[in-house]
Amino acid sequence: MIHAALSSSGAQVILAASSDENYPPENIIDGNTESFWISTGMFPQEFIVRFSEAVKMSLITIHSYNVKNLRIEKNTSSDATDFELITQKEFEHTDGHLQENDFQLSATTATHLRFIITSGYDHFVSVHSVTVQ
Amino acid sequence: MVKLRAKCILVGDASVGKSALSQMFRSDGAHFQKNYSMTAGVELVVKSVSIPDSGDSVELFIFDSAGKDTFLDACEKLWGQPSVLCVVFDWGQPSVLCVVFDVSSEVSFRSCALWLDRVRAHCQGLQLPGVLVGNKSDLSSRREVEMAMAQEWAQSQGLEYHETSAKEMENCEAPFLSLAQAFYTLYQDRIQTIQTLA
Repeated sequence: MIHAALSSSGAQVILAASSDENYPPENIIDGNTESFWISTGMFPQEFIVRFSEAVKMSLITIHSYNVKNLRIEKNTSSDATDFELITQKEFEHTDGHLQENDFQLSATTATHLRFIITSGYDHFVSVHSVTVQ
Repeated sequence: MVKLRAKCILVGDASVGKSALSQMFRSDGAHFQKNYSMTAGVELVVKSVSIPDSGDSVELFIFDSAGKDTFLDACEKLWGQPSVLCVVFDWGQPSVLCVVFDVSSEVSFRSCALWLDRVRAHCQGLQLPGVLVGNKSDLSSRREVEMAMAQEWAQSQGLEYHETSAKEMENCEAPFLSLAQAFYTLYQDRIQTIQTLA
């Protein structure tokens, strides 16, 4: 089991549509669900994770709060361009605890993953962790 | 330092002065349009507001909506929920709300309840900070809506009440500053909540 979307394996968040310096997007891939990135208003919101090399994956797990609709796109190029949709989902609303959602994929290879939050259950949504297996 | 973004929906009957108000706010009082020109659909005004003593700011995307019923369908599409048909115009849910009436027109005041309902119908239980604005406060001899009455109704609806005169450049910033502050407070509340979750 490899948590490839962790900063320790060389992954980076190269773009985030919101930034509060107290809750930076790096918190998404630090392997800790206590730290988080929070959106700062309006939708859609997005962030892009770049891996240090092409990564094979069959499962993406996301911990978040108040996210409603999420699309995940990928590419296999060295630039953050030409993304294709791989999966999308409407999350259930949770109260008082984080949302935990798994995305099963039929073996996929990617150099970038792009997460687009098209709507939320509140004005602000937080993403606590993204892991890839 | 953080910059929040809020989608501010500006509604109210035709000719109560919504566009005049948003233009006065945008131009810091430099631009009062003397001739009336009706807004069709929605016009967008963007302006950043600093939150005192914080270094933070709120960028308001003000959707100045047409007051005339003819344009209502188009407006509702732009205020509201994601729509498959117009992905480009999917601006997401409203963040804050500004309902405007003309203090010299009781009819325009009575319409405020309807405008409030229309916008809230798009919000699905979302907490929506709002203000009620009585504009044209310079028309004191023709006033039909007393301040106390407007204030009482605003309070019953959880709105903060402001009186403005776009023409006399009076108090035009206050409603928007108050909305920015309310949205900022909401953001801080949410961060506190989220910190207790993990």
